[in-house]
Amino acid sequence: MDNSVANLILACLALGVSCGILSVFVVTQKWAFVGEGISHAGLGGAGTAWMIALIFPSLDTPALPHVCVVLFCLLMALGIGFVTRGRRVSADAAIGIFLAASLAWGFFAQHIYFQFRSSSPFGFNTFFFGQMQTLSLGYLVISLCIAVLVAGCVALLHKEIISYCFDPVMARVSGVRVNLIHNLLLILLTLCVVSAMQVMGSILVTALLVIPGTCATLISSRLRNVMSISVTTALFGVAGGLAIQSRWHFLPAAPAVVLVRLVIFVGSYFSTARR
Amino acid sequence: MQADAGNIPSNARSGKGKTYDSRCAGQLHYNTQLLNDPIIDISHLDFAYRDQPVLKDIDLAVPRGSTVGLIGPNGGGKTTLLQLLLGLLVPTRGEVRVDGLSPRDATRRGNLVGYLPQRDPMQPTFPIDVRQLVRLGLVGKTRIFHAANREDLDFVERLIDRVGLSDAASTPVKELSGGQLQRAMIARALAPKPKVLLLDEPTTGIDRAGQQRFIELIDSLKKEMELTIVFVSHDLRAVTSVSDRIACLNVTLHYHDVPEHIPAELVYRMFACDLEAIGIRSGAHSEPVQLQISSRKGGD
Repeated sequence: MDNSVANLILACLALGVSCGILSVFVVTQKWAFVGEGISHAGLGGAGTAWMIALIFPSLDTPALPHVCVVLFCLLMALGIGFVTRGRRVSADAAIGIFLAASLAWGFFAQHIYFQFRSSSPFGFNTFFFGQMQTLSLGYLVISLCIAVLVAGCVALLHKEIISYCFDPVMARVSGVRVNLIHNLLLILLTLCVVSAMQVMGSILVTALLVIPGTCATLISSRLRNVMSISVTTALFGVAGGLAIQSRWHFLPAAPAVVLVRLVIFVGSYFSTARR
Repeated sequence: MQADAGNIPSNARSGKGKTYDSRCAGQLHYNTQLLNDPIIDISHLDFAYRDQPVLKDIDLAVPRGSTVGLIGPNGGGKTTLLQLLLGLLVPTRGEVRVDGLSPRDATRRGNLVGYLPQRDPMQPTFPIDVRQLVRLGLVGKTRIFHAANREDLDFVERLIDRVGLSDAASTPVKELSGGQLQRAMIARALAPKPKVLLLDEPTTGIDRAGQQRFIELIDSLKKEMELTIVFVSHDLRAVTSVSDRIACLNVTLHYHDVPEHIPAELVYRMFACDLEAIGIRSGAHSEPVQLQISSRKGGD
């Protein structure tokens, strides 16, 4: 097997595990829009990197957009965390504003870059639509590390995380440091989104975070089963998408992954409709 | 000394002094002894949302092992006072101590304060069962990265049995009825063996028979666990059924005494808005209100 294919399969499986676990919390906490906001903030980060590259040409390297995407997504996540604790602006409104502003800034920067360099900036298509053709060993290692980090945090802090997710106020009254748990979940979510953006693109990455958890909560009401089903759904989606792409090379893999998961969701929905 | 609603000596109102209404003289020795070391001690407390005062100059000492009923009209500040006791809000002025600690430190200890909120859990469809829900009560008591010890887990099982949910211990929370969920939440609040239990409108939305069962459950758990209870409600009947002492709150604390002796005039004044909203007008109030109070311990 080609190394790049092995990297791709392993990286996608790692993403399946990390996104499958977090998907349960994204769905139960109704954080789908938060994930959407963080993923689109990535484009704002890339836009900032392209502007920096224009002003300081020596910094115009492939690493710069990645660094800015990570920083922007983390800032977005912490900003969402801050706003959702206050009462002056609703979380949905705040996310909607930052999401649209990030997209606008990304497009704006891309056009300015194109005007001055007569070429599209590095990573524009990747950040938007993702790519699964050439995944590096470095990316595989990062994906595996994030999967281990997510699984480890949830295993070690499961009682605090569950308490927070069930009722944040009651968790605080019980002595849980809810701000710590809230921000930890947002940071884990950000890391997953950033790593998944590379293969899925900022538009489709939300599917990784929403569909597995939704299917799992339809099928079971027990946390252990919900976690297992969510991860399994995520892995089936990845495997199915990659299988379709390997059979019909002209089809893009990321949309294939999403469509396989959609089929699983429809099956789950109708098979549990009579309960 | 005859204490009436409008002219109560400040020390009597706060419950900290030795001078009480002569009608409760029989309780004086008991109260003075216990009040030397109250488990909840609130002094000169003010709280305001922006410029809107919600609580003004509250003094309240709750003796260990007592059950204090906190009554008052909607919007009178009862839930706000509970939130201050829980450290969820910070006083504008004054001090709150729970077992000698600030409310935030008290809740962080994880085994000092139990709380039953008025509302349902924020995510009642979260995929956990009754046993997992009750075990969540141990989360603050158990250190981070550590599992709960066997003794605490055994106590959780006994609590589940005690609140009558042993058959439903593996039932997902989202499949529970309102009454079952409330009992599970009580067990959750008691799981860390707290010294203080705060109940916020626990009988709202429950029928009379359910209220009576709830009151009996709370009464027996209080004795078994030597709890101090603060019972917040605007339901006079429920409060007087379970409380040793009553505090009437409507922005300021109007009265703090044994339940039999609440002046009807005061009760009418406290609940005037609520009563008028349901068609009861001034002058026709004394008797019906007095009747509700006299139903203490009597049930239906």
